[in-house]
Amino acid sequence: MISVSGLTKRFGRKVAVADLSFEVHPGMVTGFLGPNGSGKSTTMRCMLGLDRADAGQTLFDGTPYRSLAKPLHEVGALLDAGYVHPGRSARNHLRWVAASNGLPLKRADEVLETVGLSAAAGKRLRTYSLGMKQRLGLAGVLLGDPNTVILDEPANGLDPEGIRWIRDVLVYLAEQGKTVLVSSHLLSEMSLMATSLVVIGQGHLIEQCTVADFVDRYGDHWVRVQSPRVATLVEALQAGGAVIAQVDATTIEVRGPTTVDVGELAGRYGVVLHELSNQSGSLEDAFLKATASVQEYHSGVFTTTTSTFTDGTDGRRADVGGAS
Amino acid sequence: MINVLRSEWIKLRTIRMNLVLVVIAVAFPLIVSVLIAALNNNDEMNARDLLNAVQISSVVTAMLLGVIGAATITGEFGFGTIRTTFAATPKRMRVIIGKAIITVSLAMVVEGLVVLLSYNVGAAILTSRDRRIDLVDAPSGRPAIAGVILFAAIVALLGFGLGLLIRNTPTAVAILILWPLVVESIIGGILSAAGVDQPFKWLPYNAGISMANPDSFEGGLGRVGSGLYFFAVAGAITVFGALLTNRRDA
Repeated sequence: MISVSGLTKRFGRKVAVADLSFEVHPGMVTGFLGPNGSGKSTTMRCMLGLDRADAGQTLFDGTPYRSLAKPLHEVGALLDAGYVHPGRSARNHLRWVAASNGLPLKRADEVLETVGLSAAAGKRLRTYSLGMKQRLGLAGVLLGDPNTVILDEPANGLDPEGIRWIRDVLVYLAEQGKTVLVSSHLLSEMSLMATSLVVIGQGHLIEQCTVADFVDRYGDHWVRVQSPRVATLVEALQAGGAVIAQVDATTIEVRGPTTVDVGELAGRYGVVLHELSNQSGSLEDAFLKATASVQEYHSGVFTTTTSTFTDGTDGRRADVGGAS
Repeated sequence: MINVLRSEWIKLRTIRMNLVLVVIAVAFPLIVSVLIAALNNNDEMNARDLLNAVQISSVVTAMLLGVIGAATITGEFGFGTIRTTFAATPKRMRVIIGKAIITVSLAMVVEGLVVLLSYNVGAAILTSRDRRIDLVDAPSGRPAIAGVILFAAIVALLGFGLGLLIRNTPTAVAILILWPLVVESIIGGILSAAGVDQPFKWLPYNAGISMANPDSFEGGLGRVGSGLYFFAVAGAITVFGALLTNRRDA
């Protein structure tokens, strides 16, 4: 388990990470989301002691990173696949990493095999594509068979097959009971592999919850109704204050009432329904909505982090409903 | 610590540029002393003259070893591998000490090899040309040989220290090379003109080179004193660089 508490990092006068606290639990993939420049990478560097945090601490199963004697056995991290010397071969790159933690040098070939790079093990890294470097980076993460895995944008530069592969690997690692924290801006990917989310904006925590809760809270929700006598329903619903979007002659999308409300109403008017279903937006919609609010926060509407943020969200949701 | 040393050794020997630099560092003084021994027609050429040539040409070796020393750390900052390094070994001082040990050891081994090869090959050529060559003729010969080796070790340390401080390969290497060639000459000249007695003894590189002087010399800081002074300067830069690196963001 990773616990981050009160993490703060300033670059000059700019606050990159502000009093950030969250927990990452074992046995599931936790997605680390935030717009560009929100402080995800800085947070990860601070967690690993690479950037010196101005305040706060990160504990890995109760131990700060700097106190780990052989950290690769505990935490595998991939911050940037480009952090390699272009003149070295993949095998030699992994060998020096392995040697630094007393791992046998043959581990280099083993993990290269795992990530499917055996054939290119002896090639110099300047010949590697970004996708191959990502695979190499993941090989580096696996070297010490760590219990905790931290990855910054691992799907960057991968082709669809590679993205699917990295997703499968991360889900597999989580199923093995490992703690997996992965940042990504590919939200559709995140929704496929992450169970839990940590969302930040402007260096502040916006939300820590499950993906389902997040979409529930921030995503767009509506009821889809299909009926041959849809016009009757529209009239009745609008009288009750619902916002209606006409999809086609027999289908409408209703925002406001629940499926129960619509069903009761249809029964009262004797309208036959062909479809009555709950619909919700994607994680991407939810993310954009949640982080758009951070911009409001940025412009000075909010004074504290979480509580006031929720108010802002509710306000926003009402705005969106009214507009559509 | 053993793990760090192994890791740093793998890093050092898996970069082709380092191999190229070592080959040049060994070959250059060797070629110079072969040419001097083979082409010199002066019947009076003795061990001291040969040592002089070895000492002068091995300054180039020391510089190249200093470049390796600088690049061993600036390369990591340049390519970002320092983050992988410090993530694997979060106690940064271990990494820094490990790198310093590997760099200085390599310098001593290579420079030792250079002196051994270039002196003995030169001597062998001269002997085959019926010139009597014997270290006994140069009373300061052995201390000077030790001085050459230590000089290279300190220049390598200086390169490493500058690299820690500056984090940028071209800048660190430029300072390493321009310092003795330009900066010390100018400062020494100015001090001389200002009437300072023996100004060069306080210029670190000059002090280092006099440690490797085959002539026994009087005045100045003495052979040991000059060497210690040069070492103190290189050591201070390295310690300062190490403290900064330990504190800064990687």
